[in-house]
Amino acid sequence: MNDKSTWEFGTRQVVYGAIGAALYGVFSWATNIFPLPAAGNITFRPAVAVLIFFGAAYGPWVGLLAGFIGNTLGDALSGWGFYWNWSLGNGLMGMIAGLAMAAIHDFRARSDIIKAVGWGAAGIAVGMLFASLTEMFVGGIDFKTALVGYFTPAFIGNLIVTVILLPILMIAFAAVAARRGR
Amino acid sequence: MLVTWKYRPRNTFIQRLDPRTRLIFMVCIIFALTIPDIWDFRIILPLLLISLTLYLLARIEWKDVKRAWLYIFILVFFIVGLNGLLSGRGGPSSVTDISSPVLFEVPIKIPFTELGWDIPVTVSKAWFALNQMSRMLCMAILAIPIPYTVDPNIYGTSFKRMGASDNVSFTMDLAFRFLPTFARDLMITMDAQRARGYEMDKLKGGIIARLQRLAPLIIPVVMQSTVTGEEVIDAMDLRAFGTGRRTWLKDLKYAPRDYIVLGIGVAIFITCCILKWGFGIGGFFVPEFFTRLLVR
Repeated sequence: MNDKSTWEFGTRQVVYGAIGAALYGVFSWATNIFPLPAAGNITFRPAVAVLIFFGAAYGPWVGLLAGFIGNTLGDALSGWGFYWNWSLGNGLMGMIAGLAMAAIHDFRARSDIIKAVGWGAAGIAVGMLFASLTEMFVGGIDFKTALVGYFTPAFIGNLIVTVILLPILMIAFAAVAARRGR
Repeated sequence: MLVTWKYRPRNTFIQRLDPRTRLIFMVCIIFALTIPDIWDFRIILPLLLISLTLYLLARIEWKDVKRAWLYIFILVFFIVGLNGLLSGRGGPSSVTDISSPVLFEVPIKIPFTELGWDIPVTVSKAWFALNQMSRMLCMAILAIPIPYTVDPNIYGTSFKRMGASDNVSFTMDLAFRFLPTFARDLMITMDAQRARGYEMDKLKGGIIARLQRLAPLIIPVVMQSTVTGEEVIDAMDLRAFGTGRRTWLKDLKYAPRDYIVLGIGVAIFITCCILKWGFGIGGFFVPEFFTRLLVR
């Protein structure tokens, strides 16, 4: 279904990195325009599930590029400027999720879906923690605000989105890949 | 609706600059403030004025950026500013110095309980909040004009010329090319689903149900994009992508004005480092005039 050389960076990774970035940017922009109501100060970004999916399907480089460039594009499209630490945090999120690629053999299998969600959760934790903690230096916030005000809502919101949407994306991808024979 | 970049050619000094110059200058300012950890208004204020001047030189219409400014206003004033004013944390420890005069106290009560406490707002915290907001604005103002004033066709070339590999630069370039296409695909899918009775504006049910109902929008666009990707890979492989060094159609050349702006950016960064580490200037302190202004 996909090339298993996890750290390869060739034409496939360039193209899917760009596609993942563009999709992440577009869906982030769409969510900014039509925000999804949620509880408390948690906001849902369905785009995160797309990013985790691209990481799991095409590897860590694709996840890194899609997360970094995609977040930058989404923020730029919404006119929010450039927040390098959040873009890098999103890149890390996709990159760690991409480590699942080597462990996934069948995108329809329950065990493989659980692995992808698990790596995705780890990616979300690391990526959002990085972005939240660096906000202490960039934005001048304190540790408590970084953890409670930034990390926790971002982690919970992204995790819920991933748990719900990633399995749907993986099953749909299995069908498309089987039809195309690659 | 097709999403296009908000870029429009304008005959301005900012647009005549090489995009690399603007990106490097922005990085210099961000590093100048964050690496030596500058909290001195005598340094922050001039940098804010430089950023503001560059922003105004871009001559972006207010209607284009009012949404961005609203977001920045909420972030900077309500989140960062209030946090600084009440907690005083996130910067140097001297901000929370108890010897600073108390301006007023904000009573905080836990709802439905008798528990609560008064948070003192000191002169030091007030000055810190002002510095913190100026510091953030200084960095944000430089980033806002970029999507409005840099031609999307030269992002790839810019990153290549800044030393990124062909693969990374081409990823950037392709991402910018795909963006309007996927935005159009999303809009077409939304219209098609609405025609089938899909109510996007009224997603009902709990959180899980609402997210699941987004699948009819997300899945078609993502799956179509994976199919498109295979076709692009075939086309690129046929043109021997990745087998040798690439050439880029658009070329970028630094003009004298670019060297001047780059020189100013690097000088600002070096000066901030020397002031902080060499002379101990740049740390947080409350100026006398501010204390006199608030405490009579």
